[in-house]
Amino acid sequence: MIGLHIPDSFIPLLQAAVYWVIALVFIALSLRWARAEMREEKVPLVAVLAAGIFAIQAVNVPIPWGTSGHMVGAALAAIVLGSPFAAVFVLTLVLIVQGVLFGDGGITVMGANIINMGVIGGFVGFYSYKGLNRAIRNPYPAAFVAAWLSLFVSALACAVEMAIAGTFPLGLGLFSMGLYHAVIGVIEGAITTVALYLIVTARPDILPKESGVTA
Amino acid sequence: MIEELFFIEKQAYRKSPVHDIDARAKIILCFAAIVAMVAVPYSPVVFPVGLVFFLLFAILWALSRLSPLVYGKRVLMVVPFGFFLILVQIFVQNPYYTVYTSIADLPFGIHVYRESVEFASILFVKFLVSISFIILLSSTTRVQDLLEGAGRLGLPAEFSLVLGMMVRYIFVFGYITRKVGESLAARCFSPFDRNLPYRYRLRVLAYTIGTLFIRSYEQGERTYMAMLCRGYGRESHLYIRKKPLARRDLFFLLACMPVVVCTPVIAWLSSQGLL
Repeated sequence: MIGLHIPDSFIPLLQAAVYWVIALVFIALSLRWARAEMREEKVPLVAVLAAGIFAIQAVNVPIPWGTSGHMVGAALAAIVLGSPFAAVFVLTLVLIVQGVLFGDGGITVMGANIINMGVIGGFVGFYSYKGLNRAIRNPYPAAFVAAWLSLFVSALACAVEMAIAGTFPLGLGLFSMGLYHAVIGVIEGAITTVALYLIVTARPDILPKESGVTA
Repeated sequence: MIEELFFIEKQAYRKSPVHDIDARAKIILCFAAIVAMVAVPYSPVVFPVGLVFFLLFAILWALSRLSPLVYGKRVLMVVPFGFFLILVQIFVQNPYYTVYTSIADLPFGIHVYRESVEFASILFVKFLVSISFIILLSSTTRVQDLLEGAGRLGLPAEFSLVLGMMVRYIFVFGYITRKVGESLAARCFSPFDRNLPYRYRLRVLAYTIGTLFIRSYEQGERTYMAMLCRGYGRESHLYIRKKPLARRDLFFLLACMPVVVCTPVIAWLSSQGLL
Protein backbone atom coordinates (compact mmCIF):
# COMPACT_ATOMS: atom_id res chain seq x y z
CA MET A 1 0.00 0.00 0.00
CA ILE A 2 1.10 3.59 -0.36
CA GLY A 3 3.42 5.15 2.14
CA LEU A 4 6.20 2.63 2.50
CA HIS A 5 8.62 3.74 -0.20
CA ILE A 6 11.04 6.08 1.61
CA PRO A 7 12.28 8.70 -0.86
CA ASP A 8 15.88 9.89 -1.22
CA SER A 9 17.08 12.51 1.29
CA PHE A 10 14.90 11.29 4.16
CA ILE A 11 17.73 9.17 5.52
CA PRO A 12 21.29 10.59 5.79
CA LEU A 13 23.87 8.96 3.54
CA LEU A 14 25.78 7.12 6.27
CA GLN A 15 22.65 5.53 7.74
CA ALA A 16 21.41 4.69 4.25
CA ALA A 17 24.73 2.91 3.62
CA VAL A 18 24.22 0.80 6.76
CA TYR A 19 20.75 -0.24 5.53
CA TRP A 20 22.25 -1.07 2.14
CA VAL A 21 24.83 -3.36 3.77
CA ILE A 22 22.12 -5.19 5.75
CA ALA A 23 19.95 -5.45 2.64
CA LEU A 24 22.88 -6.81 0.60
CA VAL A 25 23.38 -9.58 3.17
CA PHE A 26 19.75 -10.62 2.75
CA ILE A 27 19.95 -10.29 -1.04
CA ALA A 28 22.99 -12.61 -1.03
CA LEU A 29 21.10 -15.07 1.22
CA SER A 30 18.08 -14.93 -1.08
CA LEU A 31 20.29 -15.68 -4.08
CA ARG A 32 21.70 -18.63 -2.16
CA TRP A 33 18.13 -19.75 -1.41
CA ALA A 34 17.27 -19.45 -5.11
CA ARG A 35 20.26 -21.63 -6.03
CA ALA A 36 19.70 -24.22 -3.31
CA GLU A 37 15.94 -24.49 -3.11
CA MET A 38 14.82 -23.61 -6.60
CA ARG A 39 18.04 -24.72 -8.28
CA GLU A 40 19.92 -22.03 -10.12
CA GLU A 41 18.32 -22.90 -13.45
CA LYS A 42 14.89 -22.07 -12.06
CA VAL A 43 15.88 -18.51 -11.22
CA PRO A 44 14.25 -17.25 -14.47
CA LEU A 45 10.94 -18.49 -13.12
CA VAL A 46 11.25 -16.22 -10.09
CA ALA A 47 12.33 -13.34 -12.35
CA VAL A 48 9.16 -13.67 -14.41
CA LEU A 49 7.15 -14.02 -11.21
CA ALA A 50 8.72 -10.76 -10.00
CA ALA A 51 7.36 -9.08 -13.12
CA GLY A 52 3.96 -10.49 -12.17
CA ILE A 53 4.25 -9.10 -8.63
CA PHE A 54 5.15 -5.74 -10.17
CA ALA A 55 1.92 -5.89 -12.21
CA ILE A 56 -0.01 -6.93 -9.09
CA GLN A 57 1.37 -3.90 -7.24
CA ALA A 58 0.14 -1.76 -10.10
CA VAL A 59 -3.49 -2.80 -9.61
CA ASN A 60 -5.28 0.07 -7.89
CA VAL A 61 -7.32 -1.05 -4.91
CA PRO A 62 -10.04 1.27 -3.58
CA ILE A 63 -9.66 2.36 0.03
CA PRO A 64 -12.96 3.01 1.85
CA TRP A 65 -12.33 6.73 2.55
CA GLY A 66 -11.95 7.54 -1.14
CA THR A 67 -8.29 7.14 -2.09
CA SER A 68 -6.57 4.18 -3.67
CA GLY A 69 -3.60 2.02 -2.76
CA HIS A 70 -1.85 -1.08 -3.95
CA MET A 71 -0.66 -4.36 -2.53
CA VAL A 72 2.91 -5.00 -1.41
CA GLY A 73 2.54 -8.76 -1.86
CA ALA A 74 5.54 -9.81 0.27
CA ALA A 75 3.47 -12.20 2.38
CA LEU A 76 1.75 -13.63 -0.69
CA ALA A 77 5.09 -14.29 -2.44
CA ALA A 78 6.62 -15.83 0.70
CA ILE A 79 3.61 -18.07 1.40
CA VAL A 80 3.13 -19.26 -2.18
CA LEU A 81 6.85 -19.84 -2.81
CA GLY A 82 7.37 -21.34 0.64
CA SER A 83 10.22 -19.16 1.88
CA PRO A 84 10.74 -15.65 3.25
CA PHE A 85 13.77 -15.38 0.97
CA ALA A 86 11.41 -15.61 -2.00
CA ALA A 87 9.87 -12.33 -0.85
CA VAL A 88 13.32 -10.76 -0.42
CA PHE A 89 14.33 -11.86 -3.91
CA VAL A 90 11.13 -10.79 -5.63
CA LEU A 91 10.69 -7.51 -3.73
CA THR A 92 14.33 -6.53 -4.35
CA LEU A 93 13.78 -6.82 -8.09
CA VAL A 94 10.49 -4.94 -7.91
CA LEU A 95 11.98 -2.14 -5.77
CA ILE A 96 14.97 -1.71 -8.11
CA VAL A 97 12.63 -1.25 -11.06
CA GLN A 98 10.29 1.05 -9.12
CA GLY A 99 13.18 3.15 -7.82
CA VAL A 100 15.12 3.50 -11.06
CA LEU A 101 12.22 3.81 -13.50
CA PHE A 102 9.57 5.60 -11.49
CA GLY A 103 11.47 7.30 -8.69
CA ASP A 104 9.08 5.47 -6.36
CA GLY A 105 11.44 4.96 -3.41
CA GLY A 106 14.92 6.44 -3.52
CA ILE A 107 18.25 5.11 -4.74
CA THR A 108 20.32 5.79 -1.62
CA VAL A 109 17.50 4.52 0.62
CA MET A 110 16.73 1.45 -1.47
CA GLY A 111 18.49 -0.70 1.12
CA ALA A 112 16.07 0.53 3.79
CA ASN A 113 13.10 -0.06 1.48
CA ILE A 114 14.29 -3.60 0.71
CA ILE A 115 14.62 -4.26 4.46
CA ASN A 116 11.14 -2.89 5.18
CA MET A 117 9.15 -4.48 2.40
CA GLY A 118 11.24 -7.48 1.35
CA VAL A 119 13.00 -8.64 4.51
CA ILE A 120 10.56 -7.59 7.25
CA GLY A 121 7.49 -8.05 5.05
CA GLY A 122 8.67 -11.46 3.89
CA PHE A 123 9.92 -12.82 7.21
CA VAL A 124 7.03 -11.52 9.31
CA GLY A 125 4.54 -12.66 6.68
CA PHE A 126 6.00 -16.13 6.28
CA TYR A 127 6.70 -17.04 9.89
CA SER A 128 3.50 -15.59 11.32
CA TYR A 129 1.59 -17.53 8.63
CA LYS A 130 3.48 -20.71 9.44
CA GLY A 131 2.98 -20.37 13.19
CA LEU A 132 -0.71 -19.49 12.94
CA ASN A 133 -1.43 -22.18 10.37
CA ARG A 134 0.17 -24.76 12.65
CA ALA A 135 -1.88 -23.49 15.59
CA ILE A 136 -5.31 -23.13 13.99
CA ARG A 137 -4.88 -25.52 11.03
CA ASN A 138 -6.64 -23.17 8.64
CA PRO A 139 -4.44 -21.44 6.06
CA TYR A 140 -6.85 -18.65 5.15
CA PRO A 141 -7.22 -16.80 8.46
CA ALA A 142 -3.49 -17.45 8.95
CA ALA A 143 -2.71 -15.82 5.57
CA PHE A 144 -4.99 -12.89 6.43
CA VAL A 145 -3.29 -12.17 9.76
CA ALA A 146 0.19 -12.76 8.28
CA ALA A 147 -0.37 -10.32 5.42
CA TRP A 148 -1.82 -7.72 7.81
CA LEU A 149 1.06 -8.17 10.22
CA SER A 150 3.71 -8.03 7.49
CA LEU A 151 2.41 -4.66 6.30
CA PHE A 152 1.90 -3.28 9.80
CA VAL A 153 5.38 -4.22 11.06
CA SER A 154 6.97 -2.92 7.82
CA ALA A 155 5.25 0.43 8.38
CA LEU A 156 6.48 0.58 11.99
CA ALA A 157 10.02 -0.21 10.81
CA CYS A 158 9.76 2.58 8.25
CA ALA A 159 8.68 5.01 11.00
CA VAL A 160 11.56 3.92 13.27
CA GLU A 161 14.13 4.34 10.47
CA MET A 162 12.94 7.87 9.75
CA ALA A 163 12.94 8.69 13.46
CA ILE A 164 16.56 7.50 13.70
CA ALA A 165 17.30 9.68 10.67
CA GLY A 166 15.70 12.61 12.50
CA THR A 167 13.33 13.35 9.62
CA PHE A 168 10.09 12.27 11.31
CA PRO A 169 9.22 12.18 15.03
CA LEU A 170 9.00 8.67 16.44
CA GLY A 171 5.69 9.03 18.26
CA LEU A 172 3.87 10.68 15.38
CA GLY A 173 5.45 8.30 12.87
CA LEU A 174 4.48 5.19 14.80
CA PHE A 175 0.97 6.53 15.39
CA SER A 176 0.20 7.85 11.89
CA MET A 177 1.92 5.16 9.86
CA GLY A 178 0.89 2.43 12.27
CA LEU A 179 -2.75 3.50 12.29
CA TYR A 180 -2.93 4.02 8.51
CA HIS A 181 -1.32 0.69 7.73
CA ALA A 182 -3.29 -1.14 10.41
CA VAL A 183 -6.43 -0.16 8.47
CA ILE A 184 -4.93 -0.65 5.02
CA GLY A 185 -3.43 -3.97 6.15
CA VAL A 186 -6.96 -5.39 6.42
CA ILE A 187 -7.30 -4.93 2.64
CA GLU A 188 -3.84 -6.46 2.03
CA GLY A 189 -4.88 -9.38 4.25
CA ALA A 190 -8.23 -9.85 2.48
CA ILE A 191 -6.69 -9.78 -0.98
CA THR A 192 -3.86 -12.14 0.04
CA THR A 193 -6.40 -14.60 1.47
CA VAL A 194 -8.67 -14.61 -1.58
CA ALA A 195 -5.68 -14.76 -3.97
CA LEU A 196 -4.29 -17.72 -1.98
CA TYR A 197 -7.68 -19.43 -2.15
CA LEU A 198 -7.75 -18.93 -5.92
CA ILE A 199 -4.22 -20.34 -6.31
CA VAL A 200 -5.10 -23.35 -4.12
CA THR A 201 -8.19 -23.99 -6.21
CA ALA A 202 -6.66 -23.44 -9.65
CA ARG A 203 -3.03 -24.56 -9.27
CA PRO A 204 -2.48 -26.43 -6.00
CA ASP A 205 0.60 -28.10 -7.52
CA ILE A 206 2.61 -24.85 -7.47
CA LEU A 207 2.34 -24.55 -3.70
CA PRO A 208 5.29 -26.10 -1.88
CA LYS A 209 4.96 -28.29 1.22
CA GLU A 210 6.17 -25.39 3.40
CA SER A 211 3.03 -23.40 2.55
CA GLY A 212 0.99 -25.97 4.49
CA VAL A 213 -1.99 -25.73 2.13
CA THR A 214 -3.84 -28.59 0.50
CA ALA A 215 -6.53 -28.27 -2.15
CA MET B 1 1.54 2.38 -12.67
CA ILE B 2 1.26 0.17 -15.75
CA GLU B 3 0.07 3.08 -17.92
CA GLU B 4 2.94 5.18 -16.56
CA LEU B 5 5.36 2.40 -17.51
CA PHE B 6 4.29 2.65 -21.16
CA PHE B 7 4.34 6.44 -20.92
CA ILE B 8 7.91 6.47 -19.59
CA GLU B 9 9.14 4.03 -22.22
CA LYS B 10 7.47 6.09 -24.97
CA GLN B 11 9.43 9.17 -23.86
CA ALA B 12 12.64 7.12 -23.75
CA TYR B 13 12.22 6.18 -27.43
CA ARG B 14 12.38 9.80 -28.61
CA LYS B 15 15.45 11.28 -30.27
CA SER B 16 17.57 14.03 -28.75
CA PRO B 17 21.20 14.70 -27.84
CA VAL B 18 20.48 13.51 -24.28
CA HIS B 19 18.67 10.38 -25.46
CA ASP B 20 21.71 9.54 -27.60
CA ILE B 21 24.16 9.66 -24.70
CA ASP B 22 25.33 6.22 -23.56
CA ALA B 23 23.28 4.85 -20.66
CA ARG B 24 26.44 4.43 -18.56
CA ALA B 25 27.21 8.15 -18.69
CA LYS B 26 23.65 9.02 -17.67
CA ILE B 27 23.57 6.42 -14.87
CA ILE B 28 26.87 7.74 -13.47
CA LEU B 29 25.72 11.36 -13.63
CA CYS B 30 22.26 10.80 -12.17
CA PHE B 31 23.39 8.52 -9.34
CA ALA B 32 26.30 10.87 -8.55
CA ALA B 33 23.90 13.84 -8.44
CA ILE B 34 21.55 12.00 -6.08
CA VAL B 35 24.35 10.82 -3.78
CA ALA B 36 25.91 14.30 -3.75
CA MET B 37 22.56 15.93 -2.96
CA VAL B 38 21.82 13.45 -0.17
CA ALA B 39 25.36 13.89 1.20
CA VAL B 40 24.89 17.63 1.72
CA PRO B 41 24.12 18.15 5.43
CA TYR B 42 20.62 19.23 6.50
CA SER B 43 21.51 22.93 6.52
CA PRO B 44 20.80 26.00 4.35
CA VAL B 45 23.85 24.97 2.25
CA VAL B 46 21.34 22.74 0.46
CA PHE B 47 19.66 25.74 -1.23
CA PRO B 48 22.54 26.97 -3.45
CA VAL B 49 23.58 23.39 -4.19
CA GLY B 50 20.00 22.46 -5.05
CA LEU B 51 19.68 25.50 -7.29
CA VAL B 52 22.83 24.63 -9.28
CA PHE B 53 21.80 20.97 -9.54
CA PHE B 54 18.31 21.92 -10.65
CA LEU B 55 19.74 24.28 -13.29
CA LEU B 56 21.92 21.43 -14.56
CA PHE B 57 18.86 19.18 -14.66
CA ALA B 58 16.81 21.90 -16.43
CA ILE B 59 19.49 22.33 -19.12
CA LEU B 60 19.64 18.58 -19.71
CA TRP B 61 15.84 18.35 -19.76
CA ALA B 62 15.67 21.16 -22.33
CA LEU B 63 18.31 19.38 -24.43
CA SER B 64 16.24 16.19 -24.24
CA ARG B 65 13.41 18.07 -26.05
CA LEU B 66 10.87 16.60 -23.65
CA SER B 67 7.95 18.77 -22.61
CA PRO B 68 7.93 20.33 -19.13
CA LEU B 69 4.46 18.78 -18.86
CA VAL B 70 6.05 15.33 -19.04
CA TYR B 71 8.28 16.31 -16.14
CA GLY B 72 5.31 17.74 -14.22
CA LYS B 73 3.27 14.61 -14.78
CA ARG B 74 6.09 12.37 -13.63
CA VAL B 75 6.77 14.44 -10.52
CA LEU B 76 3.10 14.21 -9.56
CA MET B 77 3.30 10.44 -9.87
CA VAL B 78 5.91 10.13 -7.12
CA VAL B 79 5.16 13.12 -4.93
CA PRO B 80 2.35 12.01 -2.52
CA PHE B 81 4.28 10.16 0.20
CA GLY B 82 7.33 12.45 0.07
CA PHE B 83 5.10 15.52 0.07
CA PHE B 84 3.17 14.26 3.09
CA LEU B 85 6.44 13.71 4.99
CA ILE B 86 7.66 17.19 4.05
CA LEU B 87 4.38 18.91 4.93
CA VAL B 88 4.26 17.38 8.40
CA GLN B 89 7.76 18.74 9.10
CA ILE B 90 6.55 22.31 9.53
CA PHE B 91 4.50 21.33 12.60
CA VAL B 92 7.13 19.28 14.41
CA GLN B 93 10.57 19.72 15.92
CA ASN B 94 13.55 17.67 14.81
CA PRO B 95 17.03 16.96 16.22
CA TYR B 96 18.78 19.21 13.67
CA TYR B 97 17.87 22.44 15.50
CA THR B 98 18.21 23.34 19.16
CA VAL B 99 16.08 26.49 19.32
CA TYR B 100 12.59 26.77 17.83
CA THR B 101 10.67 29.96 17.10
CA SER B 102 6.92 29.69 16.65
CA ILE B 103 5.63 31.76 13.72
CA ALA B 104 2.01 30.60 13.88
CA ASP B 105 -0.05 29.14 16.69
CA LEU B 106 -2.88 26.88 15.61
CA PRO B 107 -5.67 25.24 17.63
CA PHE B 108 -4.99 22.04 19.61
CA GLY B 109 -1.54 23.30 20.63
CA ILE B 110 -0.12 22.95 17.13
CA HIS B 111 2.66 25.39 16.23
CA VAL B 112 4.41 26.23 12.98
CA TYR B 113 8.11 26.83 13.64
CA ARG B 114 10.47 28.94 11.55
CA GLU B 115 13.20 26.30 11.86
CA SER B 116 10.80 23.51 10.92
CA VAL B 117 9.71 25.42 7.81
CA GLU B 118 13.38 25.79 6.90
CA PHE B 119 13.97 22.08 7.48
CA ALA B 120 10.92 21.19 5.37
CA SER B 121 12.28 23.42 2.57
CA ILE B 122 15.66 21.68 2.82
CA LEU B 123 14.02 18.27 2.53
CA PHE B 124 11.87 19.48 -0.36
CA VAL B 125 14.89 20.74 -2.33
CA LYS B 126 16.81 17.51 -1.74
CA PHE B 127 13.76 15.40 -2.64
CA LEU B 128 12.94 17.40 -5.78
CA VAL B 129 16.51 17.31 -7.12
CA SER B 130 16.81 13.57 -6.46
CA ILE B 131 13.60 12.63 -8.23
CA SER B 132 14.34 15.08 -11.06
CA PHE B 133 17.53 13.22 -11.94
CA ILE B 134 15.78 9.85 -11.76
CA ILE B 135 13.05 11.21 -14.03
CA LEU B 136 15.72 12.48 -16.44
CA LEU B 137 17.45 9.10 -16.47
CA SER B 138 14.36 6.99 -17.08
CA SER B 139 12.74 9.44 -19.50
CA THR B 140 15.77 9.55 -21.79
CA THR B 141 17.04 5.96 -21.52
CA ARG B 142 15.27 2.83 -22.73
CA VAL B 143 14.87 0.10 -20.13
CA GLN B 144 17.00 -2.33 -22.13
CA ASP B 145 19.76 0.28 -22.50
CA LEU B 146 19.63 0.96 -18.76
CA LEU B 147 20.13 -2.71 -18.09
CA GLU B 148 23.01 -3.05 -20.54
CA GLY B 149 24.56 0.11 -19.16
CA ALA B 150 24.32 -1.22 -15.61
CA GLY B 151 25.83 -4.52 -16.78
CA ARG B 152 28.75 -2.71 -18.41
CA LEU B 153 29.26 -0.71 -15.22
CA GLY B 154 29.73 -3.92 -13.27
CA LEU B 155 26.28 -5.08 -12.15
CA PRO B 156 26.84 -8.81 -11.38
CA ALA B 157 25.92 -11.09 -14.30
CA GLU B 158 23.46 -13.00 -12.10
CA PHE B 159 21.53 -9.83 -11.47
CA SER B 160 21.61 -8.54 -15.04
CA LEU B 161 20.12 -11.83 -16.25
CA VAL B 162 17.34 -11.84 -13.68
CA LEU B 163 16.60 -8.13 -14.01
CA GLY B 164 16.70 -8.40 -17.80
CA MET B 165 14.09 -11.13 -17.74
CA MET B 166 11.97 -9.28 -15.25
CA VAL B 167 12.05 -6.07 -17.26
CA ARG B 168 11.10 -7.92 -20.46
CA TYR B 169 8.09 -9.51 -18.78
CA ILE B 170 7.00 -6.35 -17.04
CA PHE B 171 5.79 -5.14 -20.41
CA VAL B 172 4.08 -8.48 -21.11
CA PHE B 173 2.24 -8.27 -17.79
CA GLY B 174 1.61 -4.62 -18.44
CA TYR B 175 -0.40 -5.60 -21.51
CA ILE B 176 -2.11 -8.42 -19.61
CA THR B 177 -3.09 -6.07 -16.77
CA ARG B 178 -4.40 -3.57 -19.29
CA LYS B 179 -6.48 -6.31 -20.99
CA VAL B 180 -7.84 -7.52 -17.65
CA GLY B 181 -8.80 -3.94 -16.81
CA GLU B 182 -10.55 -3.57 -20.18
CA SER B 183 -12.39 -6.86 -19.68
CA LEU B 184 -13.64 -5.72 -16.29
CA ALA B 185 -14.65 -2.35 -17.72
CA ALA B 186 -16.48 -4.08 -20.60
CA ARG B 187 -18.55 -5.84 -17.94
CA CYS B 188 -19.29 -2.46 -16.35
CA PHE B 189 -17.11 -3.23 -13.34
CA SER B 190 -15.13 -0.47 -11.77
CA PRO B 191 -13.29 -1.01 -8.49
CA PHE B 192 -14.17 2.58 -7.60
CA ASP B 193 -17.92 2.25 -8.33
CA ARG B 194 -19.56 3.04 -5.00
CA ASN B 195 -22.86 1.53 -6.19
CA LEU B 196 -21.26 -1.89 -5.84
CA PRO B 197 -20.71 -3.39 -2.39
CA TYR B 198 -17.15 -2.85 -1.18
CA ARG B 199 -16.65 -6.54 -0.32
CA TYR B 200 -17.70 -7.55 -3.83
CA ARG B 201 -15.26 -5.08 -5.41
CA LEU B 202 -12.48 -6.35 -3.19
CA ARG B 203 -13.26 -9.98 -4.03
CA VAL B 204 -13.15 -9.29 -7.78
CA LEU B 205 -9.82 -7.46 -7.40
CA ALA B 206 -8.43 -10.28 -5.26
CA TYR B 207 -9.38 -12.83 -7.93
CA THR B 208 -7.75 -10.57 -10.54
CA ILE B 209 -4.58 -10.42 -8.46
CA GLY B 210 -4.63 -14.19 -7.87
CA THR B 211 -5.10 -14.74 -11.61
CA LEU B 212 -2.19 -12.43 -12.36
CA PHE B 213 -0.06 -14.39 -9.91
CA ILE B 214 -0.96 -17.72 -11.54
CA ARG B 215 -0.47 -16.32 -15.04
CA SER B 216 2.94 -14.95 -14.15
CA TYR B 217 3.93 -18.25 -12.55
CA GLU B 218 2.77 -20.17 -15.63
CA GLN B 219 4.57 -17.71 -17.90
CA GLY B 220 7.67 -18.28 -15.76
CA GLU B 221 7.34 -22.05 -16.21
CA ARG B 222 6.94 -21.70 -19.99
CA THR B 223 9.89 -19.29 -20.23
CA TYR B 224 12.03 -21.57 -18.10
CA MET B 225 11.21 -24.61 -20.26
CA ALA B 226 11.83 -22.62 -23.45
CA MET B 227 15.18 -21.47 -22.08
CA LEU B 228 16.15 -25.03 -21.18
CA CYS B 229 15.33 -26.08 -24.77
CA ARG B 230 17.74 -23.40 -25.98
CA GLY B 231 20.56 -24.69 -23.82
CA TYR B 232 20.10 -22.55 -20.71
CA GLY B 233 21.99 -23.83 -17.67
CA ARG B 234 23.95 -22.90 -14.58
CA GLU B 235 26.68 -21.12 -16.50
CA SER B 236 24.33 -19.05 -18.68
CA HIS B 237 24.46 -15.31 -18.45
CA LEU B 238 23.18 -12.31 -20.34
CA TYR B 239 25.63 -11.43 -23.11
CA ILE B 240 26.51 -7.75 -23.07
CA ARG B 241 28.77 -6.61 -25.89
CA LYS B 242 31.77 -4.59 -24.80
CA LYS B 243 31.47 -1.01 -25.94
CA PRO B 244 33.86 1.82 -25.10
CA LEU B 245 32.38 5.21 -24.25
CA ALA B 246 32.23 7.49 -27.28
CA ARG B 247 33.93 10.90 -27.29
CA ARG B 248 30.48 12.54 -26.95
CA ASP B 249 29.72 10.53 -23.78
CA LEU B 250 33.07 11.42 -22.26
CA PHE B 251 32.49 15.07 -23.06
CA PHE B 252 29.05 14.83 -21.40
CA LEU B 253 30.61 13.41 -18.25
CA LEU B 254 33.49 15.89 -18.29
CA ALA B 255 31.04 18.77 -18.61
CA CYS B 256 28.58 17.63 -15.94
CA MET B 257 30.51 15.71 -13.30
CA PRO B 258 32.66 18.65 -12.09
CA VAL B 259 29.41 20.54 -11.38
CA VAL B 260 28.04 17.61 -9.39
CA VAL B 261 31.26 17.04 -7.44
CA CYS B 262 32.49 20.61 -6.92
CA THR B 263 29.25 22.45 -6.14
CA PRO B 264 28.54 20.76 -2.77
CA VAL B 265 32.22 21.00 -1.77
CA ILE B 266 32.45 24.72 -2.63
CA ALA B 267 29.12 25.47 -0.94
CA TRP B 268 30.14 23.62 2.21
CA LEU B 269 33.58 25.27 2.36
CA SER B 270 31.92 28.69 1.91
CA SER B 271 29.46 27.97 4.69
CA GLN B 272 32.37 27.09 6.99
CA GLY B 273 34.12 30.34 6.07
CA LEU B 274 37.00 28.46 4.47
CA LEU B 275 36.61 30.12 1.06
